[in-house]
Amino acid sequence: MRVEYINPFVESAFNVMKEVLQCDVKRGELYLKSTSMPVMGVAAIVGLAGDVEGRVLFDMDKPTALNIASAMNNEEIATMDDLAKATITELANMITGQAVTKLHELGFKFDLTPPAIFTGDNMEISNQDVEALIVPMETPHGKVEINVAIRERA
Amino acid sequence: MKTKEDFPSINERTPEGHAPDGSAFRVLVVDDSMFVAKQITQILTSEGYDVVGQAADGLQGLERYKELYPGVDLVTMDITMPNMDGLTALAKIIEFDKNAKVIMISALGKQDLVKQALLTGAKNYIVKPLDRKKVLERISHVLSK
Repeated sequence: MRVEYINPFVESAFNVMKEVLQCDVKRGELYLKSTSMPVMGVAAIVGLAGDVEGRVLFDMDKPTALNIASAMNNEEIATMDDLAKATITELANMITGQAVTKLHELGFKFDLTPPAIFTGDNMEISNQDVEALIVPMETPHGKVEINVAIRERA
Repeated sequence: MKTKEDFPSINERTPEGHAPDGSAFRVLVVDDSMFVAKQITQILTSEGYDVVGQAADGLQGLERYKELYPGVDLVTMDITMPNMDGLTALAKIIEFDKNAKVIMISALGKQDLVKQALLTGAKNYIVKPLDRKKVLERISHVLSK
């Protein structure tokens, strides 16, 4: 996967999380995965289709999701209720929105699907024929992994 | 998000959400994200605005506008929504009331749609993530015209 695709996501995740969470965000070491991998418990997924195709997954464990939802709403949220899900979805929306603006400026044309959110234990995601690049982001609320699998349309 | 602005001021000041005659401006919030709708509502009510209605898609938004009319001063309209998108709802609201004041709420990356909305008659737009200052500035600017 070309690095041009991943950088906009890393940059915008960094910027958006810093802004909406009002905290320090640290980028961890990138790693690549070509087989299936575990999903931590709460995952927002956005699909891409156009010149490039694939998906971006924002993956975190449940306590992290609740911490983030609480911080963004300025109130304690204790369960993954509709508001918590809407909040994580909106975070994914803002990050992809900003990343896509950069990718469009670089000349890649594609559309996004509205984000969907998965919650549960023991989930795995696998990609046929496309490797996924994972960027861990460390925040005081917990770790969020941005998992990008994109390829150029054949 | 805690900012200085969340604390009451000791200085006398009319809340921005009040019209010169002292009555609260009435706002309809149209957004499919419960989080964004709640965020906008909190920002506005803290400044004295009266959020008179919420709608989760463009079609509901249009219906709510017609029900509330003329008891609504401003609409905040998300762009990407199910059933009827914000651009279509905007056009239909303006067709119904050519003086409607609609502000678009957009994620980054939708510049073309924002431009189209402004040409259709939206009075302004706000790009997410929303911050209190930006939201209040744009809204009071539109209402002052």
